[in-house]
Amino acid sequence: MANLRIEHLNKRYGATTVLNDVNLSIGDGEFVVLVGPSGCGKSTLLRMIAGLDGASGGDIHIADKLVNTLAPAERGIAMVFQSYALYPHMNVRKNMTFGLKFTGVPPTERERRVAKAARMLRLEELLERYPRDLSGGQRQRVAIGRAIVREPAVFLFDEPLSNLDAALRVSTRVEIANLHRLLKSTIVYVTHDQVEAMTLADRIVVMNKGCIEQVGKPLDLYYEPANLFVAGFIGSPAMNFFEAEVGGIEGGRARVAGTAFRNFDMPAASLKVGDALTVGVRPEHLVRGGAGPFLAEGIVELVERLGEASFAYLRRVDGRIFVAEVRGRQTPAPGETVTLVAASPDVHVFDALGLRVAT
Amino acid sequence: MTTDQRARSIGVHLVLIAYSLLAVGPILLVVMNSFKVRSAIFGSPLAPPDASTFSLVGYEKVFRSSHILTYYSNSLIVTLVSMALVLLFGAMAAWALTEYRFRGSTALALFLSIGIMVPIRLGSVAILNMMRSAGLNDTLTALVLVYVAQGLPMSIFILSEFIQQIPKDLRDAARCDGVPETRIFFEVVAPLLRPAIATVAVFTIVPIWNDLWFPLILTSSDSTHTVTLGVQQFLGQYITDWNSVLAALSMAILPVVVIYVILSRQLIAGLTSGAVK
Amino acid sequence: MPEPLSNITVQMPRAKLAGLLLFFLGPAVAIYSLFSIYPLVATMALSTYTSDPSGARSFVGLANFETLLGDALWSKPFWNALGNNLIFFAVHMCVQNPIGIALAGLLSLPGVRLKGFYRTVMFLPTMLSVVIVGFSWNLILSPLWGVAAGALKAVGLGSLFAPWLGLESSALVTLSLMSVWQFVGIPMMLIYAALLNIPEELIDAARVDGLGQFRIFFHIKLPLVLPTISLVSVLTFVANFNAFDLIYSVKGALAGPNFTTDILGTFFYRTFFGNQLQLGNPTMGAAVATVMFFIILLGLCLYLFLVQRRIRRYAF
Repeated sequence: MANLRIEHLNKRYGATTVLNDVNLSIGDGEFVVLVGPSGCGKSTLLRMIAGLDGASGGDIHIADKLVNTLAPAERGIAMVFQSYALYPHMNVRKNMTFGLKFTGVPPTERERRVAKAARMLRLEELLERYPRDLSGGQRQRVAIGRAIVREPAVFLFDEPLSNLDAALRVSTRVEIANLHRLLKSTIVYVTHDQVEAMTLADRIVVMNKGCIEQVGKPLDLYYEPANLFVAGFIGSPAMNFFEAEVGGIEGGRARVAGTAFRNFDMPAASLKVGDALTVGVRPEHLVRGGAGPFLAEGIVELVERLGEASFAYLRRVDGRIFVAEVRGRQTPAPGETVTLVAASPDVHVFDALGLRVAT
Repeated sequence: MTTDQRARSIGVHLVLIAYSLLAVGPILLVVMNSFKVRSAIFGSPLAPPDASTFSLVGYEKVFRSSHILTYYSNSLIVTLVSMALVLLFGAMAAWALTEYRFRGSTALALFLSIGIMVPIRLGSVAILNMMRSAGLNDTLTALVLVYVAQGLPMSIFILSEFIQQIPKDLRDAARCDGVPETRIFFEVVAPLLRPAIATVAVFTIVPIWNDLWFPLILTSSDSTHTVTLGVQQFLGQYITDWNSVLAALSMAILPVVVIYVILSRQLIAGLTSGAVK
Repeated sequence: MPEPLSNITVQMPRAKLAGLLLFFLGPAVAIYSLFSIYPLVATMALSTYTSDPSGARSFVGLANFETLLGDALWSKPFWNALGNNLIFFAVHMCVQNPIGIALAGLLSLPGVRLKGFYRTVMFLPTMLSVVIVGFSWNLILSPLWGVAAGALKAVGLGSLFAPWLGLESSALVTLSLMSVWQFVGIPMMLIYAALLNIPEELIDAARVDGLGQFRIFFHIKLPLVLPTISLVSVLTFVANFNAFDLIYSVKGALAGPNFTTDILGTFFYRTFFGNQLQLGNPTMGAAVATVMFFIILLGLCLYLFLVQRRIRRYAF
């Protein structure tokens, strides 16, 4: 069990910057998920924590110890790979004990740990099998078991569920959450899947283009995205954006004016007349016939019915498309004009730099 | 299947069968006739041996008047030792070149690849001088050293391709597990290189077994001759004794064919695995 | 972005990395340098010396090369051998490689059964020693045995038979064809492997577009395996200079009749070791080897600059 501190971490390959001044502090026992689009640097960050990739600059501390120059095995980490990386020529038991041989764990202790991990992960029956004889889910559990027996200070997971089919992904996700509850260990988990991030994380780190965009609790990111990127990345279907500007300021209130929605007021704070703004509203927060400052009209182009909800794709006045969630059996018909409203806490406004402005 | 397709399929098979016959016919002919009496060899060369024409007189002659068993054991020793070293040192070098980044690695890879294109035979004059001054001429050791040097470039090239196909995650996992670098190679990577052995064998080991040049210039006594050289000299000596000649040829052919047929599935799988492009 | 390869060496202490490199690369580099590169360099150095009958050597600069290329006693056999080498190479390029491509094409047709059997059989001669192959064909083509003559007579072409290996006009081509027979398996296998790598869907798409197997082969498959075909050409070119064994075992060091089958390999051997007609001359031998080295180098450069650059590789 340990905390993890990353300071001013940089990574460059030639002229390409992969990580740019990353700072992150992870508490003991915390489950942190790194999420972001592919190429955002999340996997590189994880590999650098593991010691598999070197840094171009900056420091990594694990359990308050500077580990920059330590080999992976000396950092007290264990990693679970996307491809599971099971040794194909060793059976499950050997896969789990192989690493322990080299780190001075005596044989009886190795057996004890394997037995414990096997019980925890329901692997007892599989210990003598070879990876080729295991299903995807079983391989995944062996990979996790191999990490557990090392009794690491920090677990690192690199997109561990992306090779599993949808049903297995859900059950393994639950299993990983249970495991974290049981082991109370520090976990850093990389994924591009926001559902995994939202369901598993104590805190989520959203990354983009080598930078951290926002760190926060799952629901904080959802309800109060710090910037346009996070607002657009978290939530599915993605948040609708409407171009706007500050139309006027009066009595400490700024008028948010745009072509595709009805103008509304918000606290002016440091806004100036003419500032460009972006208004964001999630599809699930747009309701027909509610009350709220935000109101937009659209002509229904298409309705996607998912069952628990339907998504209406609407053409706005300016010709672009936005999405609204519709609950229940009655869905609007294509061609119908619909008026949609969002309540105040659900309307997000971002300034010209893409940063959130308090509404 | 339409008649048209069937006709074409038959055509394809006819061509393939014809070429197969052309490929094995000469070998069969030699082996078959080596078991016949002299009159039958000339009288009916295309007929298989039967009770009246069967004879082992050629084989007896070969055993009596040449050291064929010594040649075999020399060839075996030279080929097996060379193979072990080519595979071991080749895999180790291929691993270092593909896995570790260090200054000069590209230059070193280029340096090592010279031997793929430039035949080592061109250095024979100096090799002979070296072996003489080291007291190694007319020894199997000299052959092994030359063959290892000859086989390494190609085996490094082939093995590098195979090593690159092993998932990188495996080595990373081993590193996280605390496995030392040398053990990662010997216990994780090397066992996974088994399919590569066949490909390396075809391109580096078979030429060693079959080589005439270096035994010719580096060995001078019967006790160090290999099968290829021994049989070649025997053939030159007994050129008019057809029974012996055919028997000697068959004795050189048969072990290779037997081993080839046993291993052909792996050999061909290795060749077509796409590792050599 | 460069591939995120294992960057383990970045944070590895220098001494540890050096130790690992020494351990893994040391044996291979040592043996290869000592027994392959050093002899090559030493041979080139030796080619600038001459030795008198007592064995003492003296530096003569490029005099050996002047002798080799200028003195008719040397230059005539040299150019003869080089010319024969080119014929040997040309026969391989024009016969071996097209047959190899054709066989690979037939084997890769969809729905052909017994592929494994055909492949195994056709590759068999490649596994045998050149000496054995040469001698076996020598017997088969021998008028004494009469197998080839008999076979031709059986198909009504008996009048075509001649002791090909013994005639000045046909000996070299006959030897080349024997070598083609033996090594056709290599281009066949390499091209077959490349053909297997072409995605099935691409061929299916062409069939849906209405192309027959013949057109698919020429318009789709062949262009896609062009890089392999060019690799095969290079291998053929280099192997050409290793083709000593065949000539030596069938024709002896004198490469008869009347040197018509003499190639650089046998010429080098005679110069270096001597034979019934002359004494061995290591320094002149070294000069011949050096010239061969530069011919190979020239061939590879021509290939790299003229062919390789024009070949496009396609990603599937």
